[in-house]
Amino acid sequence: MKSLITIGLPSKGRLREGAIQFFEKNNFKLTSNGGDRNYFAKFENYPNIKIIYLHAKEIIQRISDDTLDIGISGLDLLNESAANLKQKIEVKKKLDFGSANVVVAIPNDWIDVQTVADLEEVSFDFRDKKNTRLRVATKYPNLTNNFLVSKGVTQYKLVTSLGATETYPFIGSSEIITDITSTGKTLKDNNLRILKDGLILKSQACLFYSKKKAAKLQPFLNSLK
Amino acid sequence: MKSKNYSENIIKVFKKDGFVLSEPDVLLDSDYIIERSGENFRKIMLTFEDDTGKSMCLRPDLTVASCIKYLKDNSKANSKIYYSGQAYRRSKSLKKVVNYQLGLEIFGSKNKSLDDLKVLKTITNSINKIKIKNISIKVGDVSLFKQLIDSLKIPERWRMRLKRHFWRPKYFEDLLKRLETNSDVDPATVELDKKKFFEMKNIDQNKEVASRKVSEIISRFDRKIKDPRSFKENKKTVKIIKDFLKINCPLDKLEKTLNNFINNNKLSKSVFNDLSSLKNLSRLNSKIIFSTNFGRDIEYYSGVVFEIYNSSKKEIARGGRYDGLLKSLGAGKNISAVGAAINLNNLKT
Repeated sequence: MKSLITIGLPSKGRLREGAIQFFEKNNFKLTSNGGDRNYFAKFENYPNIKIIYLHAKEIIQRISDDTLDIGISGLDLLNESAANLKQKIEVKKKLDFGSANVVVAIPNDWIDVQTVADLEEVSFDFRDKKNTRLRVATKYPNLTNNFLVSKGVTQYKLVTSLGATETYPFIGSSEIITDITSTGKTLKDNNLRILKDGLILKSQACLFYSKKKAAKLQPFLNSLK
Repeated sequence: MKSKNYSENIIKVFKKDGFVLSEPDVLLDSDYIIERSGENFRKIMLTFEDDTGKSMCLRPDLTVASCIKYLKDNSKANSKIYYSGQAYRRSKSLKKVVNYQLGLEIFGSKNKSLDDLKVLKTITNSINKIKIKNISIKVGDVSLFKQLIDSLKIPERWRMRLKRHFWRPKYFEDLLKRLETNSDVDPATVELDKKKFFEMKNIDQNKEVASRKVSEIISRFDRKIKDPRSFKENKKTVKIIKDFLKINCPLDKLEKTLNNFINNNKLSKSVFNDLSSLKNLSRLNSKIIFSTNFGRDIEYYSGVVFEIYNSSKKEIARGGRYDGLLKSLGAGKNISAVGAAINLNNLKT
């Protein structure tokens, strides 16, 4: 390996742990695990590979603008991105961690709503009776729009949320939500329930790379198991 | 003839027939449109935030923009208008972002069959004026579908559902499949939720859960599990709907064809109770084809719809009745309306 390769790894959480283990399993040992305030690292004995710890969402963006060559992040974040950004990124490999589902969740007490078809009906009721649209809080506006519209739900409006989306239906900021969940526990604890056919995306951690640099990266990428 | 001459001549005919120029705003309030047309509409809107953070958009469509202007001007507005200007839509192809639209509308149309004919007549007159020959016209009436559905034996929820999604043919197919196979309510889940149902019956019925009253939730649940579900009936219903959507005949054979359909499916004679507007259209001296599976791509059409094609089968104009749009845009009451627009891009070639 002659030319420099820059790799982005998630700076926190389960994705960070998984990413570090993935490289260790492949005999790449990190000099710093990004746990402190140090955002840069190297692999021992590989001076040509530079590691940067970044927010998982930013990893996708930085691959698309050529800051990074390779990165580990979630499939949900790639699929949520704009089309022109997605075009520039390729999935090399789906990894065996970070699995979670993006789902539609509704208040548990809405016992009359089990499926997206029910939701569609309630959303029309909502508009007719209250003359406003059902509000859907989400961190995934694009995935949510595509999913709901493809299932015939049109009478809603999005409220974008940055975190603690689960609280929105109970503080009056939205009626329902879409969110990512791995065990479903947080949803349950917050009195929310997933619609029976409300799976928007099955997500997991992935090894991404920049399409443009494919030729240069292939030897390294192919060495990873 | 150049396209500028085309539009000048068309406008002459519009004016002669009593239509007055309306110049709707170019910039519209995005939230207002989203609130009324749905989040899916956002995809085609060109939006930006002004200095105060308010989201604005370029008018995506001149019919909608003209309606908004009509409502804003209140009673002062003229109700027979034409427009000539650009509409702006987000598109993958930059060439399709700016669309020149030339069309007319009658707001508060009182005599439906007269006004439907008037709009179609003015459009065909203006096409005549620019010397385009051998046009063909296709008409439909989306209210016939609603009348058919009202006459069928199906649960109310299904009735509403089929009507709501008539304008989305692909999703509509899915609905028919679900109706045919009865794959709607899962008995196992219902049993599970019944427990909860009895619990909820005993709490404060006015309590709200995410903007819905407990009474509203349990009454819908109750209705849902009591829905009659007969597999045999549903299969028959789907067959009738599919048969209906195959109807395609010359307009002057409309009554005969509909009667055959009614007899073949043993329906009540009075299913289609008002064909006056459609029949009135046959007073035009043109070849007109009637089709039921038509006018299904725009949500707001509610009655007669039509398209006009040139000799090489390109669409050069389209229009229809949209009695619900003004109300959904915030008019306090139903204001019926009918309109049409000419596709100048296809006239040029």
